[in-house]
Amino acid sequence: MSTPILEFRRVSRSFGEGRAAVPVLRNVDLSVNELEFLCLVGESGCGKTTTGKILSGLLPPTGGRVLFEGQDVSTLKGEAYGRYRRAVQIVHQDPYASLNPTQSIFDILRYPLLRHGFAKNHKQAHTRASELLELVGLTPTADVIGKYPHQLSGGQRQRVSIARALTTQPKVIVADEAVSMVDVSIRISILKTLMKMRETLGLTIVFITHDLALAKYFAWEGRIAVMYLGRVVEVGATRDVTGRPQHPYTKTLLSAIPEPDPDRTRRKEQLSLRSEDVPSLTELPAGCTFHPRCPFFEPGRCDREEPELEAVPRAESDARVACLPLTEDGTLRPYGG
Amino acid sequence: MQTSKTLTGPPPLESGWLSRVVSSYAVRTLLQALLTIWAVVTFTFFLIRLMPGNPIDVYVGFLMNQSNLTYGEALQQAASQFSFDPNASVFQQYLGYLGDLVRGDLGTSITSTGTQVVDQIARFLPWTLFCVGLGLLISFVLGMTIGMLIAYYRNSVLDTAVSFFASVLGAVPDYIWGLLILVVFGVQLGWFNIGELRGTYDPGLTPGFTPAFIWSVVRHAFLPVLVYVIGTLGSWILNMRSSTTSVLGEDYVNVARARGLTPGRIATTYVGRNAALPLFTLLAVNIGLVIGGSVIIEELFVYKGIGSFLFFSISQRDYTSMQGVFLVIAVSVVVANILADLLYSSLDPRVRIEGER
Amino acid sequence: MTGVTTPQGPVERVPVLEVENISVAYAAARGAVRAVNNVSFTLHKGEALALIGESGSGKTTLALALIRMLVRAAKVTEGRVRYVKNGAAQDVLGLSEREIRRFRWSECAMVFQGAQNAFNPVLRLSEQFSDTARAHGKGDRAWVKRRTLELFKLVRLDPERVYNAYPHELSGGMKQRALLALGVLLDPQVVILDEPTTALDILTQRAIIDVLAEMQDRLGFSIIFISHDLALAAEMADRVATMYAGEIIETGTVDDIFYEPLHPYTLGLLRSVPRLSGSQDLISIPGSPPDLISPPPGCKFHPRCPFASERCRSEAPPLEDFGAGHLAACWHTDRVVEARQGLWSDGAVVTRG
Repeated sequence: MSTPILEFRRVSRSFGEGRAAVPVLRNVDLSVNELEFLCLVGESGCGKTTTGKILSGLLPPTGGRVLFEGQDVSTLKGEAYGRYRRAVQIVHQDPYASLNPTQSIFDILRYPLLRHGFAKNHKQAHTRASELLELVGLTPTADVIGKYPHQLSGGQRQRVSIARALTTQPKVIVADEAVSMVDVSIRISILKTLMKMRETLGLTIVFITHDLALAKYFAWEGRIAVMYLGRVVEVGATRDVTGRPQHPYTKTLLSAIPEPDPDRTRRKEQLSLRSEDVPSLTELPAGCTFHPRCPFFEPGRCDREEPELEAVPRAESDARVACLPLTEDGTLRPYGG
Repeated sequence: MQTSKTLTGPPPLESGWLSRVVSSYAVRTLLQALLTIWAVVTFTFFLIRLMPGNPIDVYVGFLMNQSNLTYGEALQQAASQFSFDPNASVFQQYLGYLGDLVRGDLGTSITSTGTQVVDQIARFLPWTLFCVGLGLLISFVLGMTIGMLIAYYRNSVLDTAVSFFASVLGAVPDYIWGLLILVVFGVQLGWFNIGELRGTYDPGLTPGFTPAFIWSVVRHAFLPVLVYVIGTLGSWILNMRSSTTSVLGEDYVNVARARGLTPGRIATTYVGRNAALPLFTLLAVNIGLVIGGSVIIEELFVYKGIGSFLFFSISQRDYTSMQGVFLVIAVSVVVANILADLLYSSLDPRVRIEGER
Repeated sequence: MTGVTTPQGPVERVPVLEVENISVAYAAARGAVRAVNNVSFTLHKGEALALIGESGSGKTTLALALIRMLVRAAKVTEGRVRYVKNGAAQDVLGLSEREIRRFRWSECAMVFQGAQNAFNPVLRLSEQFSDTARAHGKGDRAWVKRRTLELFKLVRLDPERVYNAYPHELSGGMKQRALLALGVLLDPQVVILDEPTTALDILTQRAIIDVLAEMQDRLGFSIIFISHDLALAAEMADRVATMYAGEIIETGTVDDIFYEPLHPYTLGLLRSVPRLSGSQDLISIPGSPPDLISPPPGCKFHPRCPFASERCRSEAPPLEDFGAGHLAACWHTDRVVEARQGLWSDGAVVTRG
């Protein structure tokens, strides 16, 4: 396989110092392959947003290495570093907070275009900005380009955010909960635009979301990485992770999601957690951090050693999983059963 | 805790013990307070010595003229009175001053020969604390009530009028209000006999809990307190208004209405208590400002408090007294801050937790 | 499919809340915003009714009008709300200030979106439970404490720990459950839930859904819940009403709405929701919701509707009964029936844990 476009090697990140340090990511290994659609899925506090920020260079890791096209980004200098930062762009969750309210849409697009030399003058910038707006489906562009963010709807603003991310002709777009704040029907059309751009522009997309159904739909050809308390617990092809989930956490998540189908959702089998309390990041349980809640907890095994991502023997799934009973025995036994 | 969350090992026992002590709320606060006081004392000490004219030289000159002493004799006398070594460098003087300070010795006054600065402060400070404290208390309570009221009726005529009035109050410095009151009520209308209202109480009265004495104290303090109230009221009103407005938009206020609580209960416990919280932090800042501002106000009303004492010391170049007063101001601001913190944390349970950690 | 059986068993059709032709308008600079338009529905005892629709469809305004908590700029311009208890009816919109204060929470509790800030941060939970009881004349301390602890247990909270806790000491999910407990403190007949699980994590959301189902089972209250989350409606509702531009444009049993939708907007919503099981294509509804100050003539949905005809552009369709309480407001339900073929024929496997 070719070199991943972005790669995490044992990446850790904590906030704060000394005793008060909060480990948000711990020794994460993750690769983003060129042109793939990778979903990072997990609940709040799992570290998915921090992962997105580190991937796009907005935040340095406190441990481990981040590789861009095989090179450690902390060793990149000058133009090489600039190339990395331009190549990886992020689209934030909140289209109300991420656009400067005092700038017109044209200003928002013009500054990065001129600054990074993608347009040489005002006229070129205008042409390029119109092209970008058309690309993200904000047509007629002449109506939009002179407006200010508050004159646009949430969905339109999010399209502007995407257009802004595209100004530097990136290779990777990190979309952090990019559609969670807009209405259902608009959500789909924005994501479809993103998918279309992926094909036409040759983009790699890292899609961060808490919505597994959405992840499944859009990353059907891609991969999903499920995160829990600062670690990846299961990563694999979307059809494996959503269709044949292996890790107890993934199984629990999938079983907990209501479905927009009355019969199906009523009949759905539920996996019950042993505890509804999410451990605090500053007082993580020993061993596998999911063990106090896991329906398949094996005392004396799961609470000793922190599991690493490995393949599951004899499984129908190609996913790699961080779960000792699974990776060592290939099977799970219900707790106390 | 045996997860691989840190790359380094656990901290050595000793540093863990030390960091726990330092991070305990009381110790941390005390250290911070001492550091602040030390910084102010040092700053004012060197600032005073940077000013043109050496206070000892001034006094030596005064002695030479008055008592026909030679320069050497005068210097010797001056030095013996102020425990001052003229040959010592500024840094040595500083160390000596700090040493005295640690022992609680603020030195002797230069102009009132033989008087301990500590005694002077003890004589003047209570009057200032009384006036400033009373003034701030009145304006705080009044400002919060008015601010909350106009927030409830925001964008009404009442709100517009009161907000405008409050902005004007806040925009004009307190010494201007002092002058205005003096000129209008004291001189032109003649409502107050300002000539009689010099000092903190009428001369000839013996201090004590007698109606005559208390009435005298109140009469003398009335105008300075009025100025302190006017000078700070505007900002309380405007701050409380904006604080209340944002609390009124909080979910818990809406939920309280949906819960069918009485409007009175919502206004006091749900809106008022939460809206007042940020104002307590401002209270500490204001205490410092007002005590600093008392220098001019007390001089204006010839009120014999610590401010007027400082003004007097400056004009007489009584540098030991000045140092003493600066120290007192620094300490009172620090203490006020700690008190405001404690008050705040007793009102807001979210802060208590942090203190415990 | 159109029966009135629910997972909890048969529901007696005893009305508790009857809403008749209610309209709400906001005063805005450009004119009146007709946020709710001529809405009628009946809520029965023990029933869960879901109001679904996009943001701005008037769901929340409608709910606020029911407990008279509209902002000052909004007025109920017409209509009636009847609340029935033990056979006696009350006109909610005619209650005095004092009566409506007593009505709120003890007869009809509303749990707002965003439980994170629903509790006063400076009061212990116990105090917030007891002052709620006191405001409704139930000042007996021992009773309040007993009831509170009982309800904490019902919502799966550690009663002793939570009773004396301050709100910030609880996690988001715990606060949401505590709020549900507070909601039923006075044993109301109706509980309105506004986006009860939005912004909560999946597992927390699951816990809330389960707790709610159990509470409703035990206490027998009726639920009106407002959501844009169709999956939640599918799981929790007995009946569903779709709202668009301030109007109910379709209503029926949960099975009617999900399996046999009759309005193009309902169909559009169903087609735009990703599903865990199944792999059907997602199609978004083109355009955006109309301006409520000057809405389009005729059917308000016609500018976004694939079946719009001349008639739709000029004449607003009435909410018509298509049998067994399945109502829809559309001139072209026959075309929707055609178009909905294949909506569920994806033959996908249910994901099981």
